[in-house]
Amino acid sequence: MKGRTIVITSGKGGVGKTTATANIGTGLAMRGHRVVVVDTDIGLRNLDVIMGLENRIVYDLVNVIEGDCKLNQAMIADKHDYELYLIPAAQTRDKNSISPEQLREMCEELEKEFDYVLIDCPAGIEQGFKNATAAAQEAIIVTTPEVSAIRDADRVIGLLESSGLHRPKLIINRIAYEMVKHGDMMDQKDVESLLAVEVIGLVPADEHTVVAANRGIPVVHNSKSAAGGAFLRIAARVDGEEVPLMDLEPKTGLFSRFKGLVGMSGRAYSHA
Amino acid sequence: MLKTGVVQVIARGTDVAFVIDENAPFDVVAGELLDYLSKQSGLWSKGDITINVGQRMLDRDELAQIKSIIEANSGLTITRFWCSPESLGSGDLQIEAKPAKATAPPKSAPSRAKQPVAPPVAHNEVAIPEPASNTATESLSAVESIIESLKAKHNKNGARNRNITEALFIKSTFRSGESLHHHGDVVVLADVNPGAEIRADGDIVVLGSLKGFVHAGASGDNKAVIIALELPSARFQIGKYHGVAPTSARHKPKSSATGPQIAYVRSRSIHVAPFAGRFARYNKGVPYEG
Repeated sequence: MKGRTIVITSGKGGVGKTTATANIGTGLAMRGHRVVVVDTDIGLRNLDVIMGLENRIVYDLVNVIEGDCKLNQAMIADKHDYELYLIPAAQTRDKNSISPEQLREMCEELEKEFDYVLIDCPAGIEQGFKNATAAAQEAIIVTTPEVSAIRDADRVIGLLESSGLHRPKLIINRIAYEMVKHGDMMDQKDVESLLAVEVIGLVPADEHTVVAANRGIPVVHNSKSAAGGAFLRIAARVDGEEVPLMDLEPKTGLFSRFKGLVGMSGRAYSHA
Repeated sequence: MLKTGVVQVIARGTDVAFVIDENAPFDVVAGELLDYLSKQSGLWSKGDITINVGQRMLDRDELAQIKSIIEANSGLTITRFWCSPESLGSGDLQIEAKPAKATAPPKSAPSRAKQPVAPPVAHNEVAIPEPASNTATESLSAVESIIESLKAKHNKNGARNRNITEALFIKSTFRSGESLHHHGDVVVLADVNPGAEIRADGDIVVLGSLKGFVHAGASGDNKAVIIALELPSARFQIGKYHGVAPTSARHKPKSSATGPQIAYVRSRSIHVAPFAGRFARYNKGVPYEG
């Protein structure tokens, strides 16, 4: 069966594209799929760091496209016991080193072997964006509940639709429940009504995400983290499973309330 | 109703209209018209008529031919030519390019040539200055002058361009970075998001929330309006007037509570009021700073 190529993009930088790619990729692999994640952020590669694979890079994406190595030589197996591979970006080159057609060809090769090909798109809407989106049949937009990120997401959705990538899915990242509750942050409904696309996941702001990135272990491996749970559910939804979106309200069980009283509870967001 | 194939004659009360088959080639139309008029020659007495060529594109020769056929075979005098702006727009370009001969290019859109005796008063109707004579050469020059004057009138006032094209429907969200200029009315069946830009020569209707920049009456029509279900947009333009949403709380339009809103030009500035119909009288509106 032919695999699906999904691009993860946002327009604005720093909203969590790379984190989302690493976590959805890992999540899909945990569900038993064969997954390859491709970092197309040539010159500013990050996905290898998030996945903790930076020390294993020998060949990269540009090497594959220029024919310096075979496709499987550039694929780095994940540290964990899953069918998950990374094709890293070149760090010493730039976005013009590859063309949309070349990346498309490479992804067609990968689709034969893998169930999912996830493309981590660079920020911006220039050459790197064009490369990444040309190769994909589906798109996931990552945004945060901030006006600047939403504006950029809106622009990107427009560009995707005009290039034939219809009905992109939306991940709203870094939702801070307390701020939403006090009206200091846009909630899911505001974002959804503005962008008018289907929301595939809500990811709460969670310190675990930062810690996991620094350690090079995607947060989905941490079963206790709220963000990890959210990414697992997103992976399930990408996989076609019907998982309802959950409220971001923190657990109000007796124990956590007690912890809150004695000041033990940090930021205990539970569901997303 | 008399049927003669290509040319049909419809009478409504004292009005008589010649309806000519939309797709018939010109020489067939001319032949049939001549045929019909000579058969029915007793039917007509003297009178002034107007030719409505509808959307059919006719060049100068053909207009002259129609004129001479009708005037020679009936007692009628053609005083006016009436044509839709569309056929004028491209039709007279055609004339400029090939003055000598050539037939009108076949048009994919339905075209129609009519000849109402008492036509509706239309904006692109032009009276012939002098009663035309019967000879072909002279009528030719008369037709030329008609076309010239039509053209001049057409180009002089940009607002007249409003009817050139039909309304454009946009059926999905108009997003940041998307830009459009349409020579007619624009209807958006979704939101217009911040950073999007729509310019229309006619009105702009947004069946959603208008947050982007829009310019109605972009060719200079200050009578154009902007209608939106929600109008949180801070800045828009109608004709040559700019509107900037007032910042003071006193004038601030009560956003969602008011429902559909209309923006229009009143005494040289843009006002916004709750929508009460396209042609309602709007007196009290929130003035927008220009």
